[in-house]
Amino acid sequence: MACAKYLNSIQELIDGTIGSIRRAELEMHLAECADCRALFEDLQRIHDAAAALPVVEAPDRAWLQIAGRLRQEGRIRDSARLEPKRRSAGPWLAAAAAIIIAAGSAIVLLVPRASAPAGPQQTAATTPAATTPVKTVEEAQTAVDTAQEQFEKAIEDLQKVAKANQEALDPGTSATIDKNLGILDQAIAENKAAVRAEPTSAAARETLLEAFQQKLSLLQDTISLINEMRKGNNAAAARMVNKS
Amino acid sequence: MSTSKGTVHLSAVPSGARAGELQLVERCRAGELGAFEELYRAHSGRLFSLALRMLGNPADAEDMLQEIFLSAHRKLDSYRGEAALGTWLYRLAMNQILDHVRSRAARTGQLTDGLDDASLLADASGHRLADRAISRIDLERALAELPEGCRAAFVLHDVEGLEHREVSEVLGIAEGTSKSQVHKARLRLRGLLAGSRQ
Repeated sequence: MACAKYLNSIQELIDGTIGSIRRAELEMHLAECADCRALFEDLQRIHDAAAALPVVEAPDRAWLQIAGRLRQEGRIRDSARLEPKRRSAGPWLAAAAAIIIAAGSAIVLLVPRASAPAGPQQTAATTPAATTPVKTVEEAQTAVDTAQEQFEKAIEDLQKVAKANQEALDPGTSATIDKNLGILDQAIAENKAAVRAEPTSAAARETLLEAFQQKLSLLQDTISLINEMRKGNNAAAARMVNKS
Repeated sequence: MSTSKGTVHLSAVPSGARAGELQLVERCRAGELGAFEELYRAHSGRLFSLALRMLGNPADAEDMLQEIFLSAHRKLDSYRGEAALGTWLYRLAMNQILDHVRSRAARTGQLTDGLDDASLLADASGHRLADRAISRIDLERALAELPEGCRAAFVLHDVEGLEHREVSEVLGIAEGTSKSQVHKARLRLRGLLAGSRQ
């Protein structure tokens, strides 16, 4: 076991704060005491390894969540949101947005969060889509696929609930919702094609995820509307429909 | 604040680069998402690493990163270019991370680690590190197992390169306490790393 008397001096030698007299005394001791020498070498290696720790990149979804929150807070200028290349998909999204029921409601979820890694070692070794910045075509595609998978799962679940309860809505509203879902499906298909054509384009990926988000939003609003109708709250339901 | 790794000194940023940063900030203020993404891509890795190591948990670090950048976007109006953008963001991030660490420590009642050096020394003795290099993964894992207070002091001193005086200022503790926490962290890490190799 290392000598407790020299412990502080060993630490200060590593910190670089030890005075010259104590340093000389410690160096003489280290030359004689194998345990203290071993302790010094180990602590020095820990210090050096810590100083050399590399930057860990944030998961790609972190940016998507930040961008989503900025939009919700209205901090992004609309004209800055769509770049020229992305405008081909714009009319579909605009048409869908115009008739979405309660389109103004806040949707917190942009990309459903994947289950959190259990330990720091996983920050460098989990799926590429979840933890590494997109650099290559392959990585970009994997990132989109993962986000898409999560959206599609959430949409599928909501769609089942909405479908099973759609009889609560009057036929006219139900037909409008179906029509809007069809428009959004078409927008999603177009945006998927855009991502395939330009897999590394952050703008194309973002637009695709926006389309998914709009569909998710429409389904959530549909379920809210169904709930109001079931509760017999016709006034609230009418307000929702009138907002569309 | 001067650190070995992190802080960008004013003199280290050429005026052309500073002008570029101001233009980028101006575009962010104007609501241009692409500009803010550029800013995010340039600085998120370093701030995520800081949050990850200070908080010891990837999920908390991710949430923290989100809050840091949202807060940065809200505060961009106050950025005048006196410091490099990276320095400004680093300070903002550090304040938010420390608020979180302090509130978490207040809940658990512990910002400093109470174990004495003698018991740590006894615990770490007999566990020599093998001669091979300490792997990043092992070190990150061991770091996450440290108690809150000594992890924060260790990350600031040994990883981020702050002096003990600066660590004491940042954490609001005495300089002696900073030394003691960093030293305890190293001893604990020795025990944890030696244990992980057996």
